[in-house]
Amino acid sequence: MSGRRAHVPPEDYSVDELMVTALAAQFRDGDQACNGMASFIPVAAFMLARMTHAPDLVWIASSVGLEPRPKRIPASTLEAALWRDSIMYLDQYTDFWNLVLQGRWITKFCVGAAQIDCHGNVNNSIIGDDYHRPQVRLPGTAGLADMCSIGKDLYFWHPDHSPRSFVEKVDFISGAGYLSGGDARERLGLGGGPQAVITNLAVLDFHPQRKRMRLQSVHPGVTVEQVRAATGFELLMPEGAVPQTTPPTREQLRLIREVIDPDGMRKSGFRTRRVV
Amino acid sequence: MQEKTASVEEAVALIHDGDVVALQNMATQAAPMALVREMIRQKKRGIGLVVLVGGIAVDWLAAAGVIDRLIGAAVSMEQFGLCQQYRAAVEAGRVRVEELSETLLNARLGAGARQLPFLPSRGAIGTDLVAQNPENLRMIEDPFGGRPVIACRALVPDVALVHAHRADRFGNIQYEPSAMWPDLAIMPYAARRLLVTAEEIVDSEVLRRHPERTILPGFMVDAVVAVPCGAHPTSFFPAYGYDERFHQAWTKVSRDDGQAAAFLARFVHARASQAEYLEEVGGDGMLKRIQAWDATPG
Repeated sequence: MSGRRAHVPPEDYSVDELMVTALAAQFRDGDQACNGMASFIPVAAFMLARMTHAPDLVWIASSVGLEPRPKRIPASTLEAALWRDSIMYLDQYTDFWNLVLQGRWITKFCVGAAQIDCHGNVNNSIIGDDYHRPQVRLPGTAGLADMCSIGKDLYFWHPDHSPRSFVEKVDFISGAGYLSGGDARERLGLGGGPQAVITNLAVLDFHPQRKRMRLQSVHPGVTVEQVRAATGFELLMPEGAVPQTTPPTREQLRLIREVIDPDGMRKSGFRTRRVV
Repeated sequence: MQEKTASVEEAVALIHDGDVVALQNMATQAAPMALVREMIRQKKRGIGLVVLVGGIAVDWLAAAGVIDRLIGAAVSMEQFGLCQQYRAAVEAGRVRVEELSETLLNARLGAGARQLPFLPSRGAIGTDLVAQNPENLRMIEDPFGGRPVIACRALVPDVALVHAHRADRFGNIQYEPSAMWPDLAIMPYAARRLLVTAEEIVDSEVLRRHPERTILPGFMVDAVVAVPCGAHPTSFFPAYGYDERFHQAWTKVSRDDGQAAAFLARFVHARASQAEYLEEVGGDGMLKRIQAWDATPG
């Protein structure tokens, strides 16, 4: 695909592909990125960014393999098939956490979690109000709690924008967002914080002072009302008309479908594949 | 030098009911499964499990009633989903979870290894992990005037369980270049005893050809056991990948207590030796399949 047509949005993209391009747009040339388990959307976004606008985006696959060359996205984003042909294997206890905690590098992190609240706090620990007798025991925080508290800019992705997952207050804070909002995060001395939330319906950001979630753009074909109805708290609105999320280009779609993820691993976790 | 070779039965006999046991495992990777199965066969009880990210091993230990508490950062089989037996045990209150972030667990083990009362961490400040766990995590002032940090109390497991690529009979442990999780970098140093399974036990001369690959000295090790394909069904890079079919077979039955028990009866209780176990889980055909993990088009 070449020429002007490559930049014309095609009609037949699916929502997972839109989420990949929206997340890829958050990363710049020269950034460093890493991924954890079951992170198909971020991995596809990093690979796409490296093939398009950010060739010098450095990627640490599975937080293990520096600059890997996977042939395509495999069934796991933690296993060796993703970190094949790396330049370096990072020892997790020393190399990896030294790099991450140092602060100069890996300044952005992609967060996936079961629940997110109006101030960008996330929960991957328990559903329910009794920590030791939960209704649902979720996997656990893993490195999420660390990444959220050590000054990183955080980018959330969620394939199922619903009142169940977008709640006023999370049942358990496994990863710190803006806590109770306003300057609560700053008062604890935590830098960085939630920047954007990319879902199957919309892109959201946070009000600069109130630190409360705000609609930034709706995906093509989605209405503001649909996003409101799918959100379990009162969503702040941007000033003026709500813009549409930029859809993927034909060239981005070709790369995602034919080169990066021909097996469609990015589609796991979605209830519906089409934009509503 | 003292010989450290033992049988799986002898090695696991060094674990006592009520012990805190640190397990090597990262979701579908690198768990010393022969030791896990033997813990179930020997009916260990009241075990507290320390694990960074536990997978099928944790599900089995919970299903068999071996563990009653877990200290770790996550439990998940990634693409194969939540560990349902573990999840049910936690939701019913049979397993108590002390959830830590990765830096908090590393700090607790690091303090344990270095005989410090605690080590500080910046990770997880502001989360409910800290408020939930005053016994082991406390916000403290920086004595030098900086920001408060989390004091992470020393954690000293009674036993650490590790699987490696090769060892000699004196317990010197070698590892191929691979993902290195804290299970090797800090867990063994924090624990009082160390039990190791290795794909093969070789002459010390073989280790001397690549001393840079020796990761743990023999004097640390209490028992070393030769267990070929000893991480099955988890992967062990670069030797073999995870067994997809076996994980799927487990997740198909794991929501049902009766079927889960029958699964363990067949693959754990009835197959005492590694050879019998490997035959039952698919023998040579299975081995060829998981050894070809890198040949797939992925």
